Amino acid sequence: MKQQIQQHWGLWLTLIVIVLGLIGVGLTRVNAGLYQQTVAKVTRVQAIDRHATTDEFNNKDVTATQWVTVTVLNNRHQGRSYRIKNTYTKSQAMDQDYRVGNQVFLRIPSQKAAAITIQGLKRDTTLAFVAWLTIALLLLIMRFSGLMAFLSVALNAVLFYAAIQIDLATNGGHVYTLFGILAVIFAVLTLWLVLGFSRKMLVTLGATMAGTGLAVVISLIVFAVTHERGVTYEAMQYVTQVPKPLFLVETILGSLGAVMDESTDIVASLFQLKEERPDIAPNQVFKSGLQIGHSIMGPLINVLFLIFMADTFSMTLLYLRNGNNWGYTFTMNMSLGMVQSLISGIGIVLAIPVASWLASRLMPREVTSA
Amino acid sequence: MSTITVLALVLFALMTIIGGKTGATAFLSLIFNFGLLFLAIVLISWGFPAMGVSLVIGTVILAFTIFFGEDNELAAKTAYIASLIIMVALILLIFPVEHVIMAQGFSLEDSEDLEGMSLTIGVSFVGVAVTEAILSTLGAIAEASIAIAAGLSEIIEQHPHVATKRLYIDGISIGKQIIGTTFNTLFFGFFGGFLALFIWFSGLHYSFGSVINNKIFVGEVLMVMFSLIGVILAVPITTWVMTLEHRRAAKPKD
Repeated sequence: MKQQIQQHWGLWLTLIVIVLGLIGVGLTRVNAGLYQQTVAKVTRVQAIDRHATTDEFNNKDVTATQWVTVTVLNNRHQGRSYRIKNTYTKSQAMDQDYRVGNQVFLRIPSQKAAAITIQGLKRDTTLAFVAWLTIALLLLIMRFSGLMAFLSVALNAVLFYAAIQIDLATNGGHVYTLFGILAVIFAVLTLWLVLGFSRKMLVTLGATMAGTGLAVVISLIVFAVTHERGVTYEAMQYVTQVPKPLFLVETILGSLGAVMDESTDIVASLFQLKEERPDIAPNQVFKSGLQIGHSIMGPLINVLFLIFMADTFSMTLLYLRNGNNWGYTFTMNMSLGMVQSLISGIGIVLAIPVASWLASRLMPREVTSA
Repeated sequence: MSTITVLALVLFALMTIIGGKTGATAFLSLIFNFGLLFLAIVLISWGFPAMGVSLVIGTVILAFTIFFGEDNELAAKTAYIASLIIMVALILLIFPVEHVIMAQGFSLEDSEDLEGMSLTIGVSFVGVAVTEAILSTLGAIAEASIAIAAGLSEIIEQHPHVATKRLYIDGISIGKQIIGTTFNTLFFGFFGGFLALFIWFSGLHYSFGSVINNKIFVGEVLMVMFSLIGVILAVPITTWVMTLEHRRAAKPKD
């Protein structure tokens, strides 16, 4: 009965959080006052011109021009209306078609003569909506466990931010040390939140670090032997510091979550196995660990592979339509993602025997159900 | 030999040594998936509609990932059906969201890479953004639904007459176990890879407001959240499909 009442309250609490969240999403439509940039609302759009274009690679596109009438919602120019000319293409690679109801950022230069320009769309409402949907589903289906999962991600995000600030303060001079330490802290914190502080957690942590470390060592050996042929660091995007260390660190961080995921699965299953059959021999535990690993590794490597590769889609497409052949397009856009996927894959595979071995040797003789 | 070839050989060797036949086929699925991904881009660049391409390629990628990695037939079949349902549900969400949020194509931060390129290529980048988002979620959907289907099929094997209601409770409890670590896989997978961009944002003192409205950032966060939604949906949907399969399998015996 008491439990029923608690469940009842849990449901109400969830619903209240969800409703409040939805109100929060709605409020982002009227949050212009919080922005330093000038925010304006599109009130009227008139098409002026449309003409077909053909570029040097014979790509056919349409370029359109529109008058966009906006009313400023905040700061000094609040309430004023402007009519701005906007040119966009049908493919909308870097520009876009504005519609009535859109909120946009404006740049209003201090000189009267200079033209006012639209800097971009205000995307926070839609983003908040998707975030709300994610959290609402999480709470409805998972209740408390969902909250914990969310908490660990939020804490990791804060740490990530702090590490970036330190990196900038030191001008990227200690990338390896800084993010190496960060990776260890990430692993400790995340596993502590998921498993609590226990022997299980220590075994999982050991497997995660050993698996990732071995993958890095192997990759560095391969890099040295092959003289990094075909690894186009110069094609790395958004780089403001020395690319190679950044790339390696990105790869390690990228695979860390997956290796933890897998080690947790294997170690947890093996501890449960020991609980069910206390007299099981360590060698048998090791073998069972490998068995569990078999079916996890394929899907897990694919998760990271698809994430790393999907990011390269737009640029690859642009290269292909700009008359580049497949080989060059691959090298310039996909090779780094490929190297990242392969190194992560090696880490994921190596974590299987490490996790199984550690679990088989370090398991207590009597496992208490913790 | 190039670095990629050697790394691929190392991975193949390790997967075969440690994973045996399952490992080798899992490596094959990786190769096929790469081929399919590249095919998707080539098809879109030839002018095929992005939506159609992502649906077809997505269906095939899910099949390769699930059937090449899982030996248990009941689990694989259930996971595949559930993944397809989740993919369709996600498309229904991704399509309108990408059309409203307009986080497609390139941003000012890409300017250097775009030098000398023609951007008027006549392919809708909103469509490409939809494809990117759909394909990036597939791995996570497949992994989650396999984990749940495998767990449930083991329970069914041990207790063939388990009640449907009990199966639901078990499904959710397996989901609770995997959700925390899966979240971390996705979080690190997406954001680890964008370290350089975050250093850029911080280094150039982007305000919080500019970051949360930035095209690249928004595009990336959307992909994480779509994947998360996929994983969350995988829990009830896979369980539901499993109960249907279980009921169907149990009927002739009665």
